[in-house]
Amino acid sequence: MADTDKAKIIFQPSGRRGEVEKGVTIIEASRQLGVDIESLCGEKKVCGKCTIRIEEGFFEKYSIQSSKKHGGEWLVEEEKFINKEQREAGYRLGCCARVEGDLLVFVPEESRAGKQVVSKAARDINIEWNPAVEYYYVEVSEPTIQEPTGDLERILEALNQKYGLKNLDIDYLTLQDLSNQLRKGKWRVTVAIWMDKEILQVLPGKTKDYYGIAVDVGTTTVAAYLCNIATMEVVDTVSMMNPQCKYGEDVMSRITYHMMHQDGLAKMSADIVMGLNSLVKQACEATHPPKKVKKNGSDKEETITPEQDIHYLCLDPTDIIDMTIVGNTAMHHILLKLNPEYVGMAPFPPAVHKSMDIKARDLDIQINKSVYVHILPNEAGFVGADNVGVLIAEEPYKKDEMQLIIDIGTNGELVLGNKKKLISSSCATGPALEGAQLTFGMRAAPGAIERIKIDPDSHEVDYKVIGRDTWKTYSKSEEMQTKGICGSGILDLFAELYRSGVILKSGRFNPNQKNSRFRKNSDNNQPEFVIAWANETTIGKDIVITQKDVRQIQLAKGALYCGCKLMMRRLGIDKVEKVKVAGAFGTHVDREKALIMGLFPDCEIEKIISIGNAAGDGARAALLNREKREEANWVSRNVEYIELTVEKDFQQQFVEAMQIPHMKDQFDHLKGIVPDEILNQ
Amino acid sequence: MEKEELKQELLKQLSDNVISFEEDKVVEAAKKVVEEGFNAYDAIMNGLAAGMVIVGELYDKHEYFVPELLMCADALYAGLDILKPHIKPEDLGESAKGQVVIGTVQGDVHDIGKNIIKMMFEVAGFTVHDLGRDVPLEKFVEEQMRTDSDIVALSAMMTTTMMGMKKVVEMIKERNPNVAIMLGGAPVTKDVTELFGADGYAKSAGNAVQEAIKMIGRLREMQTK
Repeated sequence: MADTDKAKIIFQPSGRRGEVEKGVTIIEASRQLGVDIESLCGEKKVCGKCTIRIEEGFFEKYSIQSSKKHGGEWLVEEEKFINKEQREAGYRLGCCARVEGDLLVFVPEESRAGKQVVSKAARDINIEWNPAVEYYYVEVSEPTIQEPTGDLERILEALNQKYGLKNLDIDYLTLQDLSNQLRKGKWRVTVAIWMDKEILQVLPGKTKDYYGIAVDVGTTTVAAYLCNIATMEVVDTVSMMNPQCKYGEDVMSRITYHMMHQDGLAKMSADIVMGLNSLVKQACEATHPPKKVKKNGSDKEETITPEQDIHYLCLDPTDIIDMTIVGNTAMHHILLKLNPEYVGMAPFPPAVHKSMDIKARDLDIQINKSVYVHILPNEAGFVGADNVGVLIAEEPYKKDEMQLIIDIGTNGELVLGNKKKLISSSCATGPALEGAQLTFGMRAAPGAIERIKIDPDSHEVDYKVIGRDTWKTYSKSEEMQTKGICGSGILDLFAELYRSGVILKSGRFNPNQKNSRFRKNSDNNQPEFVIAWANETTIGKDIVITQKDVRQIQLAKGALYCGCKLMMRRLGIDKVEKVKVAGAFGTHVDREKALIMGLFPDCEIEKIISIGNAAGDGARAALLNREKREEANWVSRNVEYIELTVEKDFQQQFVEAMQIPHMKDQFDHLKGIVPDEILNQ
Repeated sequence: MEKEELKQELLKQLSDNVISFEEDKVVEAAKKVVEEGFNAYDAIMNGLAAGMVIVGELYDKHEYFVPELLMCADALYAGLDILKPHIKPEDLGESAKGQVVIGTVQGDVHDIGKNIIKMMFEVAGFTVHDLGRDVPLEKFVEEQMRTDSDIVALSAMMTTTMMGMKKVVEMIKERNPNVAIMLGGAPVTKDVTELFGADGYAKSAGNAVQEAIKMIGRLREMQTK
């Protein structure tokens, strides 16, 4: 019997289907059925990224009658993103349309949360070996009638004798397995001990190599480094989209989801735990010989025998014996199911500053059950464990030189100082610098424009997309398969628009344009500039940057610049000796472009260094060196956090910093890079 | 007739120089208005404010941005400082005599948008009681009661702090249902306004400006009738 409170819904092209409660939004239904639809604004009906199409008619294959009428009331918010024609064709916003009857929903390519290409490769940083978990090999005598002491006590005695380890505890689950392992190893075992305090694992025989994983939980991307703790080498780097992205792109929308939904926190926490588990699994699977591969494009899957000279580690998640996690304060709280509500409101106090050691089993993280997960400490509400990770990786507090460290993400974090004093701050950059919120912004997936050049004389555009090495100039239009613009492309684009004179210092489009690429949009009468013509794209329309997009980027870069400047003023300095740029796209930040667009105050180009995912490096350092954990706790309480927005002239500074590269500040180091007539506007 | 031409010329100068944010020229024109004995209120509304209406339109089209907007505001304020002391009480019709309580709600320290709105109200002749930012929710209620203001304008830049607006609306409506409550800020939507039981809404800082400018526009219309 059909349940009248439910409706059937099918998503195409994924083919996912199921029944959902009538009245839920299409986005909510997609979430329930595991279909990823973009929702950058967190269903506030403002981003238009979740555009979907409701198919009309009876579909035998699924035996459902789908109709636009089943999509609920049309809302005014939708008019901004969907024109009359599209509306006729069944287009709706997923966050506005409601399931009121059976539906067949098509998710267009642009609305699909695509697979992201992330470059969070491990960087070679100097870490001293002193891990929290160490392996000790002991041999104990077999019990006899004369000497029938218990198994554990024998091991404890041997550890004391050989290594001077005293007062050791043992994890209860490890104890359950102890007697078997001891006999299996014929009274010779390797014991994993955490912080010289607790036995976590007993393995038969002698084992040298052991493994841990360091994780950076970003708002958008989660990256994990699987490391051989004994040798300190990185076995593999794996990454994924944060599964919480479906609740909204930024930290605030996640916190709001918690405030609006009773089970929101539990849901989001479960999502990230599930994500972590799948990352661990993914990393471990990569250490096994490939089972099945497709050979030279044939459809048949064939099993190949591993080559003789390759040694496969064949790790299992239970082989992971230590884990460290960094993340911003909100990600930290949501993972640990700590109420994140107060982190989202001034004065933004976190629930806890200090680092935590929590048993993996208590967090439902599927690695070795007995081990601890080490969560690094938080600095402040908007400067979390991820920034602490950056700090312990870069150690500015040990250096004489004055360093400015910028971690660009959905939230920008800034650190300035040297061994005498260190201050930190955060600024709401929003996701614009990562490509989100812009008309044609997208994640760093294949088809995303990542490099752009604009000719200053003709204003002609050349560009390169991810997944294709050949630039547009040397390609046929249809070969480009362009879909949008990603974060690193945005930086390039913005700097080039300014350098070539397409936009003025104020960010306004130059009234003297040289090319038909500049036009007024016929729908909203807004000026825009075409980057890729429709025939170069897979989405069938021109990819443009609008005046509004330029404004979004100006807000983000203005916030960063203003933050840097106010912090420099706080320390009474007018220049820094080094600028380090970190972040998800920090790995491919073009330092020249960053300076041209005015992400930070003027400095010599040679002094700008890209440090990649420094937060993840910090997690790795804490995995391999227990002193780094101490150091993290110390530094998290010794960096002075500064709330910039309450500075008296914040508004004025912010406003000045919105111009390119700045309203008033001189940029001597751009001479020769940017034409004088542009620079001296 | 010559006098009338000069007056129109000065009004145009006030308006144009607000748009091109040329503070000195605004000051010059404003002084001339006073010297020639033209109606100061007329110069504010049909000169300065008229220019700001166009600024608002440019902003709405994203052609002007926050820096330009604020520079225009500076120019406008410079003119206002000169003209305001010369306003005759009888020029202020009923329409312009409102009082507004304005502030950014508790937990939120962003106030650029709020400051822009505040300016708009001031230009329109409202008496503005600015509570600043991170304002405890009860303070809005107290200030409204104390001043008997007609309008309470609440701003929030973060979704998390936006939730506090609902409480303020409830508290005020409970005591005085005739107060008009206006919400603004990045996360605020029309839905939220309705859900929270507020009376008016400005979609973003930009639209808030637009809204406020429309208000000025309406005031000017009423005045010319």
